[in-house]
Amino acid sequence: MPVSHFSRSQATPISSRSLWFAGTAMVLALLLSSAAFFVPQVYLPWLAGIDALLVLHGVINKGNLGGLLRYILLQLLFTMVLYLAIHGGNQVGQGVMAVARILLALLPGWWLTSTVSAEAIGELLSKVMPSKWAFVIVASINLLPFMVNEAREIYQLQLLRGARISPKQLLNPRNWSELCYCVLFPLLVQLLKLAQQTATAARARHFGHKSRRTHWRPGQSENGNK
Amino acid sequence: MATNSQSRGFQLQDALFIGFCATLLVALKSMLRLRLGLSGHSMLLMSFFYLTCYCTVARVGAITACGAMAGAVAAILGVGKGGPILLVKFLAPAIAMELTLLLVQNLLTLRWRLIVVAVAGAIVWSAKGLLEDLLVGMSWQVASVRFAAKVGSGGVFATIGALLVIPVVRRLKAHDLLYRDSKIDQEL
Repeated sequence: MPVSHFSRSQATPISSRSLWFAGTAMVLALLLSSAAFFVPQVYLPWLAGIDALLVLHGVINKGNLGGLLRYILLQLLFTMVLYLAIHGGNQVGQGVMAVARILLALLPGWWLTSTVSAEAIGELLSKVMPSKWAFVIVASINLLPFMVNEAREIYQLQLLRGARISPKQLLNPRNWSELCYCVLFPLLVQLLKLAQQTATAARARHFGHKSRRTHWRPGQSENGNK
Repeated sequence: MATNSQSRGFQLQDALFIGFCATLLVALKSMLRLRLGLSGHSMLLMSFFYLTCYCTVARVGAITACGAMAGAVAAILGVGKGGPILLVKFLAPAIAMELTLLLVQNLLTLRWRLIVVAVAGAIVWSAKGLLEDLLVGMSWQVASVRFAAKVGSGGVFATIGALLVIPVVRRLKAHDLLYRDSKIDQEL
């Protein structure tokens, strides 16, 4: 899923069935990715068959395979050039097999992210990490659209001030430092201030008063908060 | 900013800043991947954000925490390729940088310390690639050349990222956003 498309409105309660599916999918993806590196060559067709089923399932769930295929083609090209330069075409098959293993290692991860929602994976992670860090991850992801907007606003303002950071001007590497000074550095200052404000807001809602995970219910009086 | 608390664990605002940096790292990485497609360019962002966290939070564990957060966020958002392996991809260079930092903390000036730590991260990042190449059965000659190319390009990008950190930290200090009693604050 493209980062810019993630929004708070997509957050919905996760059913226990979805959580089980997400957990199983994560373990399966981990096992299959690892198997691509470790199984003997004779078992690779079996692994390819399983991955083909996952690809079919992912495509049915409207997963986009284009980016992954472009990456693999680039890897294949680079590896083939190296094999031809070093081994003179004697071991090209070995290079193709190596890239095929890389593809088999990447496909389960692609399937996982195509079929399991981001919220389900987040909920799952919150069960295995401290509540403070689970809160940090959820807050960071929910504030991502805000950060992107903030960056866009800073960029537009600096353009109006005459900074040489328009897409055409950025083709010149000499203008890259201006992008850092005018956009990236102020954005980090804003992020640090945002972190302070978020922490103050969370503490005002009694975050961190109890070791276990708590939820703030909107409309609840301060005295009645649990 | 007020003086640093010596209580166990990170303060909430530090943890949130680490989380924001990790999320921004993952988001920018996903954008740059589409535009550049250069090997090693991810080390620019990785070293920049990891070292910014180190300089801002000024506590041992900040880099590792940022790496773990970035891996978790990338896995959740589905950015990058590799699913659960993404966690290792972000975490391994972070741990290497943290350990290197512990070794050189009192030996070098801030600028050289950041560069050495960034290059250490790039070497581990490349070593992960070497291990993968050997596991998938590439010949050691091809894998070594790929490793050397990755160390070279990753090292250059990581150094650029490290050098960008100092102006950022100076600007944060100007906004009174650094801990006043921290070592970094005294060094600037």
